Amino acid sequence: MSGVPDQSRPDSLGVEVDEVTVTYNNGHVAVVDASFRLRAGTICALVGINGSGKSTLFKTIMGFLLPAKGSVRIAGESVAAAQRKNWVAYVPQAEEVDWTFPVSVWDVVMMGRYGYMNFLRLPGAEDRSRVEESLRRVQMWDYRDRQIGELSGGQKKRVFLARALAQQGRVILLDEPFTGVDVKTEGAIIELLRELRAAGHIMLVSTHNLGSVPEFCDHTVIINRTVLAAGPTSEVFTEQNLSRAFGGVLRHFRFDESTIQKHDGRAVTVLTDDERPLVFGKDGHVEYRERSGRESVVKERAQSEDDD
Amino acid sequence: MDSWLVPFHYGYMLKAMWVSALVGCVCGLLSCFVTLKGWSLMGDALSHAIVPGVALAYLAGAPFALGAFFSGLLAALGMGFVKSRTGLREDAVIGIVFTTFFAAGLLLISVFPTNVSLKTVVFGNLLGISADDVRQVAAIGGVTLAVLALKWRDLVLVCFDPNQARTLGFSVRGLNLTLLILLAATAVAAMQTVGACLVVAMLVTPGATAYLLTDRFGRMLCLAGALGTGTSFAGAYMSYFLNGSTGGCIVVLQTLLFLAALVFAPKHGMLAGRLRRREALEGRQ
Repeated sequence: MSGVPDQSRPDSLGVEVDEVTVTYNNGHVAVVDASFRLRAGTICALVGINGSGKSTLFKTIMGFLLPAKGSVRIAGESVAAAQRKNWVAYVPQAEEVDWTFPVSVWDVVMMGRYGYMNFLRLPGAEDRSRVEESLRRVQMWDYRDRQIGELSGGQKKRVFLARALAQQGRVILLDEPFTGVDVKTEGAIIELLRELRAAGHIMLVSTHNLGSVPEFCDHTVIINRTVLAAGPTSEVFTEQNLSRAFGGVLRHFRFDESTIQKHDGRAVTVLTDDERPLVFGKDGHVEYRERSGRESVVKERAQSEDDD
Repeated sequence: MDSWLVPFHYGYMLKAMWVSALVGCVCGLLSCFVTLKGWSLMGDALSHAIVPGVALAYLAGAPFALGAFFSGLLAALGMGFVKSRTGLREDAVIGIVFTTFFAAGLLLISVFPTNVSLKTVVFGNLLGISADDVRQVAAIGGVTLAVLALKWRDLVLVCFDPNQARTLGFSVRGLNLTLLILLAATAVAAMQTVGACLVVAMLVTPGATAYLLTDRFGRMLCLAGALGTGTSFAGAYMSYFLNGSTGGCIVVLQTLLFLAALVFAPKHGMLAGRLRRREALEGRQ
């Protein structure tokens, strides 16, 4: 295939976002002077609040929006040229897909191959074998004849991942990949992304699931109208940067202000669904965020500890 | 002579049957895209918006298809313009634009009487269709079938996931425009058979029926095409014996089949749904 970048030199692949400014027709400036660079073999998180320009920047990298100023280059080429070479693959958010559409799992994954087919889009032997290989890789081969609406949240996500695999995209953009996905599938997706990283792909993950970012993203871009910080997650993903990006939007649970006490020790369980966390103390009792107003609870629990 | 074969002995009936079968086939195929893209109202709008074009074309002595086509496109552009400038909801915009066009057409026809009567435009006149009009309908049908045969996979992709189409570097705007042009052209052809009022039924019902019967787009296309062809042919045939409106016969037949699918469809029908609920309950006990 002529379009695939040299596999032996993955360093030649890169995404360069250079002083990108995007404005809408109504005059709203969504992103100002955003710049960052990604090199081959990267999983990068794109993090920001709703309305921070996160999805605008995402759409610009995918070529859906043209920047008013600045440029996006993929392996040195324009986005349009990169698209024609099938370098860019996209895994949509679950809400964007019409799940009642009469297509099967197989049909959807085959849509990843359209760019390789001739004018009539008649699949050849290679297209079929790539689709099969991709479906097997995400363990969805047995579901190939299902209509897509008959799948669970995690299975749906895996179908669209398989489409990106079948497309052999070198740059894969994932929009909220973990929404509506069970913990097991989340682990499987992360594992797959790590394999792709090892093979030299670039993954850009737009997410508001902050807890998962340090788990698997080696790079992070934090955005609020412009790029606030970009670089290795270990350097960029700091409390200071995050509170700058999220302002008062994030839900805090500070242990020293909560009803958690000495007796809870390390036996504290934190449960969260991306909302305010539910925290259980040592004996499984609920902990409250604010100590004030709960003095009686604190006293009672401290007493029962003394009785032990 | 066997009375059931009588319609086949009249040239005008034979012509009416094959023309409506062709139009029914094209409409049936397009109805799959129309229903899945949510363009049903658009189909309705286009079929009414072509009326002033037809009137002007007859006044000027130009081919009616040409006039209809341009007024259909003008209406589509008008809708796009009003929508981008006002922020009104799409249904309101469609409502405003297509009634305006239809009213202009009525006015033109009533003020400048030509050999095209209002009744012909609104209800169709398949039995009295001229040789010229037959040629135009056949040309529209042939071109539409050819474009669909070549490009249906791309059109499905644009209906299902326009973002994926963009990511692959396809022109989403171009493909949407192609579909819109096919729709406008087909609305013109269908106007001849069932009239402007009933075109929307031809452009929605077969697709909606097929949607209830299958979960695969390819099969949906075949089913809708067959339903459109069959009902249109049978409707034209029946109208001979009923001595009734051809358009009425065709659309009533299509609706009966839709109702049958709604009740009896193997997976999405009402009976199947009831059966599944009962089984689920019994399974729990």
